[in-house]
Amino acid sequence: MLLQGDNLRREFTFAGKSITALAPTSVAVDAGELLALTGPSGSGKSTLLNLLSGLDRPTGGEVRFEDQPLSGFSDARAAALRNAAFGFIFQTPHLLPYKTVAENVALPCSYGGLHGNAAISERVSGLLEYVGLASHATHFPHMLSSGELQRVVFARALINRPRVLFADEPTGSLDADNAHRVLSLLRQESVAGKCVIMATHDAEAMRFATRRLNLDKFAYAKTV
Amino acid sequence: MPKPFEILLDSRDAWSSLRRRPVRSSLSALGIAIGVVALIAMLSIGEGAKQVALQRISSLGIDTVRVESAPPLNAYAGIDVANLSLSLSVADAERISAWLGTRGTLGYFVRNDEQLVAAASRRALVTVVGASADWLAAEALEAAAGRLLLPSDDARQRRVCVLGARLAVTLAASIAMPVRAGNQLCSVVGVLRPKGRLLTEGTGLSALDFDNALIAPFRTAPIPRRGARDRVDGMLVRLRSDASAQVPGVAENLTVILGDARRDVTNYRVVVPYALLNEARDTQILFQLVMGAIAGLSLLVGGIGVMNVMLSNVAEQTREIGLRMAVGATRARIISLYLCHASLLCLAGGVVGLGLGVAAALLVQVYAGWAVAFSALGLSLGPLSAVIAGLVFGLHPALRAAALNPALALRES
Ligand SMILES: Nc1ncnc2c1ncn2[C@@H]1O[C@H](COP(=O)(O)OP(=O)(O)OP(=O)(O)O)[C@@H](O)[C@H]1O
Ligand SMILES: [Mg+2]
Repeated sequence: MLLQGDNLRREFTFAGKSITALAPTSVAVDAGELLALTGPSGSGKSTLLNLLSGLDRPTGGEVRFEDQPLSGFSDARAAALRNAAFGFIFQTPHLLPYKTVAENVALPCSYGGLHGNAAISERVSGLLEYVGLASHATHFPHMLSSGELQRVVFARALINRPRVLFADEPTGSLDADNAHRVLSLLRQESVAGKCVIMATHDAEAMRFATRRLNLDKFAYAKTV
Repeated sequence: MPKPFEILLDSRDAWSSLRRRPVRSSLSALGIAIGVVALIAMLSIGEGAKQVALQRISSLGIDTVRVESAPPLNAYAGIDVANLSLSLSVADAERISAWLGTRGTLGYFVRNDEQLVAAASRRALVTVVGASADWLAAEALEAAAGRLLLPSDDARQRRVCVLGARLAVTLAASIAMPVRAGNQLCSVVGVLRPKGRLLTEGTGLSALDFDNALIAPFRTAPIPRRGARDRVDGMLVRLRSDASAQVPGVAENLTVILGDARRDVTNYRVVVPYALLNEARDTQILFQLVMGAIAGLSLLVGGIGVMNVMLSNVAEQTREIGLRMAVGATRARIISLYLCHASLLCLAGGVVGLGLGVAAALLVQVYAGWAVAFSALGLSLGPLSAVIAGLVFGLHPALRAAALNPALALRES
């Protein structure tokens, strides 16, 4: 297995009370899969994505990437893993407002992976072409529509040729056309051999998935 | 630890995000700038005072002890002060000279200020000095033309004189020319090399401009003695250069010898330039403590302002921090980013403060007449202390940023 979570559980304590964000859940994904995480709002889809990608640490259970437990990773090693092997797409596109589109796409390279200005800019223009934004390279984020922004984020997620793409409601803020474009891109990546994990409640998005995992706070999640 | 090129990347990002908030950034940098202004002004004024003190001491001679007569500081009741031989005298000088032996040279003199001297049709108001031949040697005077005074001039009561460089020009005097001083004539035997003034300010000694003085042998100098032919106005002891460490001891003994001879009525003043050095150092240290405290306080206040601004920057950029962590930033790199941010902010303030501080010091020089001097070390200390303030006060916000949980940071709206 490329990535797997065993009995993952996440609780928060707030005002002395324990809140269950994710009931114990097990999941395993491999290269070439496009897994859709579904479930009602508050069932813990985002929480599970964060645990699997190492952005958050589980209260119980273990995440394994290529059979190596993430709990044994140092901060630096977990960061390096995210940089090299993971790509992120969020519901609302997070971009740095003071950087151009091209600089935003290249952001992960300041933390590892591709280096050398020439190599980076070549890869960036290739990716912008791939997502259909070649002419926007020198624009700033505030000059782009939300559909375009989400494609910039998509390009950024791909820059270090990750093995796993995490997408949290990638179509949540998009109209049908733009949603379709982003979903096609995700599908394309999974066909090309990447592992894609996507949280969504969009029925259209689920159709692109190769597999679904339905989360329910009150029951163990089960694969449908 | 981030590598140098990574720190460079972080400073570039920090600089752009600093420029996004020009007003906030400049206001917080201003606090640091004020601290640096105080620091630069302190250092340059202190450095100026030090150089003045050093000039003064080298003008007076580090290996000299100077004695001048002065109104009595203390007199026992019952002692008829008027009956004491109140002035210093040749006898005092000879006693000290005998004690001194080969350790150094002692010269003595009488003087009269603002005396009219004339040569042919030219005249000038000058200081006339009647000096022992050793005095010229002890003051390290040199002849540009002719000769200096000799012991025999005094012994044989020759009516000769030596002119200061500027006086020689004023009087258009040349060797062998007669010069009238008071109601007597003396003939010029030498002209001195330009030497300038004795820098006596703040020492209690009388000023003396060598370039504008007429120096004649002690006994024949045209100076009104009011009956006291042996009266001496001042003495100068210059120790041999290998004995200069004995300056304090010599000064002490000299005081004892003079005190014994006049039943401890202190009607003279002993000035030890060597001790002035310590005095100057003490006042300088005091000045630097006061100004340093001011500079330190304003840097502290400025630093707290920077910390405050950095905390709100971190709070505002929570999502950006989460994003950077998601794409692979380690906690060390987040710390580096915000330390760069804070130190660039402070450095900007430091550079502005450096400019303003130099300007302030120059204004002090022009309007208050204080000496200022700039040293490369002092100037670089300004921006350096600003950067250090940035690192110190940026550390807490940076640690706070690095401690964020990326998943929660990304949820922030
Ligand atoms: N930091 C937190 N503190 C307390 N509770 C939290 C925290 N983060 C998440 N939760 C809770 O955990 C539960 C799961 O949250 P999560 O965001 O994973 O849901 P989700 O399935 O992604 O929902 P949605 O579809 O609305 O995005 C929610 O009930 C939420 O209130
Ligand atoms: Mg969610």
